[in-house]
Amino acid sequence: MFKRLLAATSIATLCLVSGASAAEKVEMWVRTGVGDAFKKAVESYNSSHENQVSMTEVPFSELVQKYATAIAGGQAPDALSMDLIYNPAFAAAGQLEDLTDWAKSLPYFNSLSPSHVKLGTYQDRIYGLPLSVETSVFAWNKDLYKKAGLDPEKAPTSWDEIATNAEKIRALGDDTYGFYFSGGGCGGCMIFTFTPLVWGSGADILSADGKTATLDTPEMRKAVDIYRNMVKKDLVPAGAASDNGANFLSFTNGKIGQQSIGAFAIGSLVTEHPDINFGVTLIPGATGGTSSFAGGDNFVITKGTPKIAAVKEFLEYIYSEDGQKIMAKYGSLPTRGDIADKVLAGLDPRLQVGIQAISVAKTPYTLQFNDLINSANGPWASFTNAAIYGDDVDGAFSNAQSEMQSIIDSGQ
Amino acid sequence: MTGYGSKTLSPQRKRRRRPGWRGLVYIAPAMALVILFFVMPVIFTGWMSLHNWPLMGGTRWIGFKNYVRMFHDARFMSALQFTAYYTVIVTIAIFAIAFPLAIFVEKQRRFVSAYRTIIFLPVVVGLATASLLWVWLANVDSGFIGPALKALGWADKSPNLLATFDSAFLTIIVMVVWKIAGFTMIILLTGLQAIPSELTEAARIDGAGRWQRFRHLTLPLMRKTIALALIISVTGSILAFDQFYIMTSGGPQNRMISVVYYIFNQSFVSFNLGYGAALSIALLAILVAISIVQLWLLRVGEERP
Repeated sequence: MFKRLLAATSIATLCLVSGASAAEKVEMWVRTGVGDAFKKAVESYNSSHENQVSMTEVPFSELVQKYATAIAGGQAPDALSMDLIYNPAFAAAGQLEDLTDWAKSLPYFNSLSPSHVKLGTYQDRIYGLPLSVETSVFAWNKDLYKKAGLDPEKAPTSWDEIATNAEKIRALGDDTYGFYFSGGGCGGCMIFTFTPLVWGSGADILSADGKTATLDTPEMRKAVDIYRNMVKKDLVPAGAASDNGANFLSFTNGKIGQQSIGAFAIGSLVTEHPDINFGVTLIPGATGGTSSFAGGDNFVITKGTPKIAAVKEFLEYIYSEDGQKIMAKYGSLPTRGDIADKVLAGLDPRLQVGIQAISVAKTPYTLQFNDLINSANGPWASFTNAAIYGDDVDGAFSNAQSEMQSIIDSGQ
Repeated sequence: MTGYGSKTLSPQRKRRRRPGWRGLVYIAPAMALVILFFVMPVIFTGWMSLHNWPLMGGTRWIGFKNYVRMFHDARFMSALQFTAYYTVIVTIAIFAIAFPLAIFVEKQRRFVSAYRTIIFLPVVVGLATASLLWVWLANVDSGFIGPALKALGWADKSPNLLATFDSAFLTIIVMVVWKIAGFTMIILLTGLQAIPSELTEAARIDGAGRWQRFRHLTLPLMRKTIALALIISVTGSILAFDQFYIMTSGGPQNRMISVVYYIFNQSFVSFNLGYGAALSIALLAILVAISIVQLWLLRVGEERP
């Protein structure tokens, strides 16, 4: 009996060993809150390939520090789906594999999302390639438009129009509101949904080289005014003032008339909230024009991983037409421009607006994105709350302007 | 001469040395733990604080530059200021609630152990859990406090308690008092129970009134207990982090960044581990100084009757 048991175990061990040597098992981390797109792509890859990808979801707010500490402790995963804005900082720290030669050998390299590749490039070497694309768009609830006597098929084209519509929707009742944003110091939410107002009008919050803070512009003043007035007229739920991003998708509750959301949310609205009848359009600028924030994730490889061949094979699968189709179905826009039309054929037409947004979208390039923008205690996050909800708008501008500049200077 | 002296002293010294050696063995496990988990990390933190030590990438020796930087760091100064403000307010609030409660539950009366249990109950809830609970209670739409005020007609519309500094600070103070007062009450209760009833009785026979008995008998005899409760409360308040992180993420416009919160931000948001380490050493120095002052107060208490 004992002998048989021993034999069985040794055979099992042998199988395990041989299995491991035949196929690689790639460890990969992905942040939460990006929908199911990547998860489904991994499932389909694993079922059709010998190499396997094991995916770990890490809370989006902790991914950067977890990855950084894992690198420091030698426990880092082979590859990572990294919020692209962090790509420059990690590349500069010398923690990522240089992908330049391999990337340039890909036949479709030139049609990969350009802002992703730009963020993945540090000192002319490429350290990150696009994995998922997300843009911010303006959404309106068609049912509430109809109830408020507005034309549900007509997309608003200016903030005057949005504010007027918001007032009509607010008049519908106690708990119906015209507009929503996460205004409680959520830097990430506000850079995503609020800066397009400024970009669309031709201004920016940082200079092109990222070395000067240019927060205090007439365009930003106008944008702040637009939001302040909507808050003052009680068109925005009171909870927005302290929402640190946890309720970012309030639009899904069906009682918000209008909100700027992300393309991932289009996917989850379509698949998980089919009862919400909504339209999407580009976010108008404060004084004309349109813009969007090009966000999403870059695919990065930890420096020195022994499984680099398997990781590359997986990424090539993601870029294949099959891979792109699965990602798009669950809300991630195609990263390859050359086959975007083919990939999106037959999918929800509203995703097309997300694609259009790519051509007008911007992404700030800075090594200090976390410090300046995303941190809940950074100058941008507190500026948005102070300027929109505070009593001293001028003070909010001058404080944030000087604090941003001092953070930029200390990082030089 | 020396040989003679040592010969006569040696048996005595041997006898004296043995208990000392044995005592060392007894405390060795505790010492090992303290050295491994306190002394060594502190030394390492001190070493880190002398470097430019990013979370990723190489480290660079910069001497005392991190400490110099601290003095010009306006955000650190405002964090210190806020922490001091919070410590003073919350300590006064805790004692103002805990002392009457201790006197209330000290007397033998019906259901006294039930009262004690109920008042002590929040103490066993973790601080992070309690913070999350209060985030919900204070929620403007789906919470309890705001909608209750509205239902009672005390407010036109449900107020967003966490949106302005004053109401958010008040909410946190109330939460901490609810959570901590029971613990302070138990400490004060032991002090109250240690006062011999003969003394109180004698004072009463001498004609001392209720206030006189409290002022001249109870308070002086509880000096040591009060000092202990004070040290625990002050140290805990200076190290406050969870409630601000969870309930307000630093408060409206960053006005609720405590020192520990700032150290956390510097270390793990800005990745400046070296500067974070320097700030930690500074905080350690501040805490040691405050505790020395308080222990000195405690010794004064010993000398007096």
